[in-house]
Amino acid sequence: MHDKQFMKEMLQDSAHAYKEGRMDRRTFLALCGASGVALTAVMAGDAEAAADHVVMWNWGGQSEECHGSAIGDAFTAKTGKGLKFDTSGPLEGKIKEMVDSGNVTADVADADLFNAVSLGPTGHLEPIDYSVVSKDKTLPGYALEHGVSVILYGYAFVYDTEAYGDNPPENWADFFDTEKFPGMRSLYKWANGSLEAALMADGVAGDALYPLDMDRALAKIKSIKDNSLYWGSGSAAHSMVVNGEVSMGMIWQNRGRNIENDTEGRYKLVNNQALAMPGAYIVPKGNPAGAAVMDFIATAQDVPAQLALLDCLGMTPSNPAAFGQIPEDQQDYAITSAKNIDKIVYNDPEWWGNNGGDAVNAFLEAIS
Amino acid sequence: MADSTNIGSLQIRNVSKLFGAFRAVNDISLDIRNGEFLTLLGPSGSGKTTLLMMIAGFLDISEGDIALDGASISDVPAEKRNFGMVFQGYALFPHMSVRDNIGYALSVRKRPQEEIRSRVDEMLELVQLQDFADRKPGQLSGGQQQRVALARALCFSPPVLLLDEPLGALDKKLRVEVQEQLKDIHRRVGTTFIYVTHDQEEALSMSDRIVIMRDGAIEQVGTPNELYERPNNEFTASFLGKSNFIRQDGKLFALRPEKIDLRAGTGHADARMSGTIRSITYFGSMKRIIVETAESVEIEVDIDVWRNSETLAEGDAVDLLWTDAAAVELQVG
Amino acid sequence: MQSFTRHFHPGWLIIAPLLVLVVALYLGPILNILWLSVTDPEPGFGNYAKLGESDALLRIVWTTVRICIITTLFSVTLGYSIAYAMVHCHQRQKSYMLTLLLVSFWISILVRTFSWLMLLGRRGLVNVTLEDIGLIAEPIAFMRNELGVLIGMVHYMIPYAVLPLLVSMQSLDTRVMDASRNLGASGAQTFWRIYLPLTMPGLVASTLLVFILSLGFYVTPAVLGGGKVLMVAEYISVQLLVTLKWGTAAMLAALMLFGVLAMLWVMSRFMKLSTVFGGTTR
Repeated sequence: MHDKQFMKEMLQDSAHAYKEGRMDRRTFLALCGASGVALTAVMAGDAEAAADHVVMWNWGGQSEECHGSAIGDAFTAKTGKGLKFDTSGPLEGKIKEMVDSGNVTADVADADLFNAVSLGPTGHLEPIDYSVVSKDKTLPGYALEHGVSVILYGYAFVYDTEAYGDNPPENWADFFDTEKFPGMRSLYKWANGSLEAALMADGVAGDALYPLDMDRALAKIKSIKDNSLYWGSGSAAHSMVVNGEVSMGMIWQNRGRNIENDTEGRYKLVNNQALAMPGAYIVPKGNPAGAAVMDFIATAQDVPAQLALLDCLGMTPSNPAAFGQIPEDQQDYAITSAKNIDKIVYNDPEWWGNNGGDAVNAFLEAIS
Repeated sequence: MADSTNIGSLQIRNVSKLFGAFRAVNDISLDIRNGEFLTLLGPSGSGKTTLLMMIAGFLDISEGDIALDGASISDVPAEKRNFGMVFQGYALFPHMSVRDNIGYALSVRKRPQEEIRSRVDEMLELVQLQDFADRKPGQLSGGQQQRVALARALCFSPPVLLLDEPLGALDKKLRVEVQEQLKDIHRRVGTTFIYVTHDQEEALSMSDRIVIMRDGAIEQVGTPNELYERPNNEFTASFLGKSNFIRQDGKLFALRPEKIDLRAGTGHADARMSGTIRSITYFGSMKRIIVETAESVEIEVDIDVWRNSETLAEGDAVDLLWTDAAAVELQVG
Repeated sequence: MQSFTRHFHPGWLIIAPLLVLVVALYLGPILNILWLSVTDPEPGFGNYAKLGESDALLRIVWTTVRICIITTLFSVTLGYSIAYAMVHCHQRQKSYMLTLLLVSFWISILVRTFSWLMLLGRRGLVNVTLEDIGLIAEPIAFMRNELGVLIGMVHYMIPYAVLPLLVSMQSLDTRVMDASRNLGASGAQTFWRIYLPLTMPGLVASTLLVFILSLGFYVTPAVLGGGKVLMVAEYISVQLLVTLKWGTAAMLAALMLFGVLAMLWVMSRFMKLSTVFGGTTR
């Protein structure tokens, strides 16, 4: 029964979404007049950082367990230092607030590489020490001054084989073609990936996406507005597909395998034209553990850690040395596997770091 | 004003009210004449309020029938019975002015504004609240609220007015005053008043007839004078005023304290009993003297102070005298 | 010193430190928000001017207000019926109803939201059943649209609507309704002319509570709206956490604060607010 599997997934995700839920309540309080106190209380998180360990700021759930086994154990063996977690989710605003408040409690945030572009120049991040961390153990262009990509995740899509079994969709153009492929679609709500997919569907080549032509992308998005839903979290994307609300759904590629399993193969993952997103480790300015965190990041770059993250979380290695060691059963799902690497396109963190805020708002305004 | 003199008689036939197996009202039959001031008097739990609520239509009748001028009203809902009612605590509408409270019954009957206005003015005059028409009930004294409640209940000229302990919330001095006004209003409107109270003085001073109730049944019905002078059972005799109870020759007699004469010393020719004074309490216009007889029975005697020139003291031996008519024989049972 | 104690009860001195703390903790953040709204990203009223310039912002505000008004309307109407039923049924049934109400009150908003999806989603219980018995050919779109948001929000808000009404109805003198019937008023007349006006303070309290709480809704619209129903609270959160436009967020927060205050002020023109918040009518 895939419902059971779904419930399990949902409950795992609930933990982090519940945190968001708490946040909302407080944000609401801000409107009614009791805001700022609670806001800072939430943003401060609950971890304590000290020199004998590093604190990783991530989204909790499975990643807490996986980061511990894939990186934490090796890091402890190498340096004797422990690994602790703050699972409140390192959104850009929270990182800014933490640094601005002077109460920095996290050492490394599991974030996006474009966060390094937007928060770095404003003085909210420590520079990456490339004497410890290697620029060669990630893809070219993904080792930036204030952040380095450790894994890749991708915006791909799944489709309903019962609806389109004879003539399956193959690319974003098919995804946006609701005449040839009637049915509902789901897209990511915070613009990322959705804009690129729209442009590729409109005929822009994968290596000529940036700078994004916003007007063109939004026009394409609006063209399927009545046939589309938007998700804000991985669990929502998952449930929209598993509950049969959409016939084609954009998803984070690392969830593709779960979806295929949960629907007993009815929905199938398409990695062609998947947009590779550099997931990055960034260090809040004035982090408590200091330089020791660079050892941690370096550990995460090592091939064993890269493969362990793929196995545990489905996150694709960004260290080219690991590409060749991607196991056979992950070939279909890892976007940098030999099977997929030639079909994917790459996100430009520079563009997103500099234009992301406006792009998100423009996107939200277009879909609401 | 006497616009309802020919209607307003009620016939209550074998009416009972059961709450589960408990009979709150048990097989009561009673004829209420039009225009009379009838009081249901009894201690709490005697069923008087339950009976009133059945007449009003707020409680269903379990057994029996109630008729107005011969026509059964048992199945007529409360809002169609057209009976006025003054509630315990008045139940005025707190959000409406005095004027709107009084005019409510006409207003829900969709009568013309002009008619309502003049009728309410009439009622305000009747209860002498002309200057308070625009106040809210919360701004009035207890007595004034009581008059608003009365005016509200009478405004639509009901054939019958039901009053549920309407003076219960007033202090004693005010009560006497309001009793007078109520009596006066009854005379002027001529409506049948059915009045529920547990206060025997109130009942005696206002009623044309009194129904004494106990344990859901009627003990005795009569004019105040009849009930006071000729109670036919021990309950009536003790509940309505005070009585001494004397057993003689297997018969039971009730004897009012004020109908006993008291002489110092013993051996008077027509003395009925003799005894010793146990206590004397002075009440201004009279003295209450407790005499203990030889048989250890305590007899209460009320003596007018002006008549009693003799100086009596506790411990004195006295003779008790009364006329044959003073001792009322009661039904034993 | 004597004149001092004449004007100030010495008790004030005891609670003064706490009072100062509470005022500071409440006013501080509010002032901070107001300050941010006129200083970020640059000093001036630029953030407020955006309201006039941007159709999108106005549309978000209007969506929020519209959804909140509809939610309030339904929650309070349903809440009124439920409270009425609770007050007028037997004690035992009333306890059951109260328990059910509080249970739904305590269930996490996320669980409730997802339950609605399972019940009313495209392949939810209701749609599947209706399709199976042949009543409909295509699933009805209950969820992932404004209707879905309204269903979720009304469901969430009903307990909030019921509780103030329950208090208000329970404290009513039932003899007043008897009096109305006795004076010849029909059930409907008694309701409109007596019951409703007397429960008005509870109704207003319930309306204010639901409306103000609705303004801050976030999870339900985000999930049940399918991403296409964007309300102010979610937009503020995005500006704070994702796009880092804190000035815009603060401006919208201030706007909602002033909106609520203005609403309370208008209400206070028509009735004593103290009666709404538990004071007496007299």
